Amino acid sequence: MSIRVALADADREQLRRALVAIVGDDGVLADAADLRVYECDGYTLERSVPALVVLPRTTDEVARVVRVAASADVAFVPRGAGTGLSGGCLPAEAPLMIGTSRMRRIRAIDLPNRRVVAEAGVVNAVVSRAVRDGGLQYVPDPSSQNACTIGGNVAENSGGPHTLKYGVTTNHVLGVELVLPDGDVVELGGAIEDTVGYDLTGVVCGSEGTFGIVTAATLRLAPIAEAVTTMLAVFETVAAATTTVSRIIAAGIVPAALEMMDRTIVAAVEAAYHAGFPTDAGAVLLIELDGPAAGLPELTSRVVELCRDSGARSVRAAADEVERAALWKSRKRAFGAVGRLAPSYCTQDGVVPRTRLPEILARIEEIGARHRLRIGNVFHAGDGNIHPVILFDERDRDETVRVLAAGREILEACLALGGSVTGEHGIGIEKIRELALTFGPDDLALMQRVRSAFDPAGRANPGKIFPTGAACIEQRTPRRQAAM
Amino acid sequence: MTAADPLRSGDERVSIREATARDVAARRALALGGVVPHAFVTPPTRAALASCVRDAAAAGAAIVPLGLGAHRALGHAPTRYDVALSTRALTRIVDYAPGDMTVTVESGVTLAALDAVLAPEGQWLPVDPPLPEQTTVGGLIAADLAGPLAASQGRVRDLVIGTAMTTADGREVRAGGRVVKNVAGYDLMKLMIGSLGTLAVVTEATFKVRPRPQTTRLLALTCADRTAALALAPRLADLDEVALAISMIDDADASPTWQCLLGGVAADVEVVATRIRAEARAANATVEYDDDGAAAEACTRIAAVRDLPRTAADVVVRAATLRTHIIDLVAALHGSVGTDERVRARVDPRAATVTLALATGDAAAAIARLRAIAASRGATLVVERWPDALAATVEVWSPLPAALPLMRRIKAALDPAGALAPGRFVGRL
Repeated sequence: MSIRVALADADREQLRRALVAIVGDDGVLADAADLRVYECDGYTLERSVPALVVLPRTTDEVARVVRVAASADVAFVPRGAGTGLSGGCLPAEAPLMIGTSRMRRIRAIDLPNRRVVAEAGVVNAVVSRAVRDGGLQYVPDPSSQNACTIGGNVAENSGGPHTLKYGVTTNHVLGVELVLPDGDVVELGGAIEDTVGYDLTGVVCGSEGTFGIVTAATLRLAPIAEAVTTMLAVFETVAAATTTVSRIIAAGIVPAALEMMDRTIVAAVEAAYHAGFPTDAGAVLLIELDGPAAGLPELTSRVVELCRDSGARSVRAAADEVERAALWKSRKRAFGAVGRLAPSYCTQDGVVPRTRLPEILARIEEIGARHRLRIGNVFHAGDGNIHPVILFDERDRDETVRVLAAGREILEACLALGGSVTGEHGIGIEKIRELALTFGPDDLALMQRVRSAFDPAGRANPGKIFPTGAACIEQRTPRRQAAM
Repeated sequence: MTAADPLRSGDERVSIREATARDVAARRALALGGVVPHAFVTPPTRAALASCVRDAAAAGAAIVPLGLGAHRALGHAPTRYDVALSTRALTRIVDYAPGDMTVTVESGVTLAALDAVLAPEGQWLPVDPPLPEQTTVGGLIAADLAGPLAASQGRVRDLVIGTAMTTADGREVRAGGRVVKNVAGYDLMKLMIGSLGTLAVVTEATFKVRPRPQTTRLLALTCADRTAALALAPRLADLDEVALAISMIDDADASPTWQCLLGGVAADVEVVATRIRAEARAANATVEYDDDGAAAEACTRIAAVRDLPRTAADVVVRAATLRTHIIDLVAALHGSVGTDERVRARVDPRAATVTLALATGDAAAAIARLRAIAASRGATLVVERWPDALAATVEVWSPLPAALPLMRRIKAALDPAGALAPGRFVGRL
């Protein structure tokens, strides 16, 4: 029996009743208006309305839901808050969406051992808030941290601006509770660092919901740094800013964060948030240093000196927590501000070795000019993780086609420079073609074999990450256009 | 596998019969649990290695991947051991870009050789297993080796960003990449780390590297007895990132000593050193030395914090728990040691691990006893060294993970013929 990726009305009704028996009436969405909310995530170029959405409250309910789906041979797609940017929870090839939004319990807080066990639907920022009085934090802080969930973070192996010094989600997840696609619940890893056996937690991080549904995670907490300095350095050109990034790294200094915004983005951010950014500058760097208080002034003055040597027009440190928060708010909400510049925008998530930043930025400029597109840049400079923001009007069909072409060319340029097509957004449905450019058939086959160990029938989030054949890839572009 | 089956080693075709005749000493040196391999090959290139694996697969031979064999005591004896396949000839530094803080090397490169490449650029790979001259990058990954630095710098899993591997059917595959942030495809590097070569042969790896600490300083505190020393554990565990590595070395013949390696900006190091001296005073510990040894730097000074004195015949176990449980666990493990036994221990207060080297007349009974104590306290236990005589019965890891059936499926998916280090891993996978 093959996996069902669509449901006839009678089957849908039968499944709905079975789900209601598990989670109750209020836990199953079946009305067209309700379902429409779930037609896409933060990647909006493709949409697909699920046949049913189920919102379990407990791991046991998730397991029972998954078993019902398994016995009906129905494919499912897990969903957290839907803030993903690569269409990872697009229900295109799975009629049943399983949302974790009602699994919001922090099951355990263990401050002395610096551990938290959080259910999948717990919002990222809530974890840090829950432990702040104990002087601890959950370090990974994606820009969407006030909405995105721990389950989604694990699925995508999310990053954020502080990964340069502290690593990404996988470096802070010690264990997960996973509901396998046959409904079995497995505990992987755990609170103790030395776990026994294969590091399955590590391979679940970033598996984009294709191994089952993570229902809870054991997270490592870290002390809030004793001292922090957040600086805004202003440069005449993007090139001067990227040179500064290289010089800071070469000096043996690893900032907590090293973020860049170019003129286009700065103008949008300043118009939206009035944080005092100079709108005539070529680029600004947001540099954050943290660590023990004693040594921070020395590190700070060295960074200031490096900025000045690289031609910074000015370097200003946030005077207090209010100023610091304003700088970060501007950076983290930069994408929101971009809405002022154009009716639509899309972003890419390429990575290059950080010394190749000047080259990739020049390439992006060239690609933008050739396709007659306006492209702004806001990105994690310290990691070489670029986020070119392509501005357009999705009602303009010709322009939209150029946007897609430019996006592909940018990612291909990242690969050519020894980089990656995605640093933190995931492959999802958006970058399936690009994954096939990154890895060869044998590489992908090995990944598929790992998947088959978790999900032999292919019921968990089918149609994501992997190319399923040339024909499918060919269909993508027209479908995208049709969706707009 | 018959004696006439050929194995390629580069361009050279080596028959098992020839290898047997020629390499008796080399093969004996790579015995595992008393089992001597039929052949020992050291392919000079990644392509040659893949070719060896294909040949062995075609012949139905079982392969145990090894580096220099320095850490091969970890793991069960293989159920079949036809070929010892060493990566020691894969010694190329493939790519090093100091400005990117990444380095790509073949898996036969030793940690000492890698450090010689990184040091002139003021960088290091912050890992500190024993025997860096004899530890290859492949061994570091396969055995998930860690020393006291891991508590401040992260483990191997936090440093590897890409690998090339040869699969059980002899295909050369890649995962990850060479950039520090990358979520393209599954993170198969994690599966390789600690898998003892049971899933694939790692032939190349890319690491994130870090700036070497500008200043280092080594402090040693001698305590009156074990109880007094352990009381300091939570205080020292709380030290910040400047405390690179901290261990309590507890030798039955001497007073227990806390070894603390600090590193970072000079002002921060001074603050932490001052705090440690204050902790020492409060605990009536003696500051044995406080050495800012400008000439020597962290990598060369780590041995004092890392090395547990032991003899070759000792049973070595490592138990891991949570920080809040470490004192109780250490005390209980020590409490079980008989008067006719001799124990030496290293305690890492942040990783919450204790490594015990035990000279005992009855290894099987001692292991069972230590395991029972660890199990009763929810700790994990790895028997790192055990006498060959116990090969058939010793359970190296405990408790066995609940997800063992899933791990079996992973093993079956990646190595369906069971040709890679069969029986070596957890649950004798």
